[in-house]
Amino acid sequence: MRPPALAQALVAAAAPTSDYEMVAGDLHEEYLRVLNARGATAADRWYWAQALRSISSLLSYSRSNASMLRRVGTAFTALAVLVAMLAVLMVIDTVFGSSRLPEWLWFFINYTDAVVFGAILALLVPTDGLRVAFYASLFLVLCFVVPAVAGHPGSQAPLAAWIYLLGAIPAMCIGAGAYQAIRCRIDSVN
Amino acid sequence: MAKGEYLGEFEHIVLLTVLRLGDGAYGAMIRMEIERVTGRSPAIGAVHATLERLERKQFVSSWIGEPTAERGGKAKRHFKIEADGVSALKDARQTLERLHAGVSLRNATA
Repeated sequence: MRPPALAQALVAAAAPTSDYEMVAGDLHEEYLRVLNARGATAADRWYWAQALRSISSLLSYSRSNASMLRRVGTAFTALAVLVAMLAVLMVIDTVFGSSRLPEWLWFFINYTDAVVFGAILALLVPTDGLRVAFYASLFLVLCFVVPAVAGHPGSQAPLAAWIYLLGAIPAMCIGAGAYQAIRCRIDSVN
Repeated sequence: MAKGEYLGEFEHIVLLTVLRLGDGAYGAMIRMEIERVTGRSPAIGAVHATLERLERKQFVSSWIGEPTAERGGKAKRHFKIEADGVSALKDARQTLERLHAGVSLRNATA
């Protein structure tokens, strides 16, 4: 018997890369104990509860002792990924024209772009990709929200544009989390 | 003790548990001991996050063990309490004893 795959992926996405093996091992060990004592359903339920309750704590810490230079490098990498993500959207907009595309397709392109670049960011920042993706997307949103809140005349946009923008946070996190989960799974298989 | 190095409630519980279990305690063992003794069932993520914080404060140290089959081939991170951790526990205990001194809980009402 193995723990639920989706719950394992959730742990892999949220845990700092350096600690994933230990956290997953601890959960696996207790999962087998609950399985032997109370059966498969209780063990699966226990694993899911632990995974869901652990997300915020796992996202809150990192074991990386990165130097200031490395942190600055990570910030520039994140910035470059954000610029590339927006550039792709601008190219698509220029070539096809967003007004000529159906709204659902434009939503799909936007979020796919954010998911893909979230995964690319996690690839480029091997430790804590999900956390970096979250802060990068939050930074992107704030770059637009702050001028709008301050009343800058060039920052007013229709509601749909704000929905696209806010959706970039979960979309980038999903991309980064999925990449991190897949990489952990491949590492554990090897 | 420097400011910011005081023990939070859960840090206190985790550090005491590491001390109870002795050198080599690890995440699942610590989580189960907390559950057995306190009746609280902490999330494993909270235990690991707290242990990392305690390690940063140099109250505990850690090392990585060998992978084992009962853990799906995954390694353990073992912990042991350090001298600063013992001092922090002593300080926390003395602080609580000073606060409790002269206070009767028997007739106290909420």
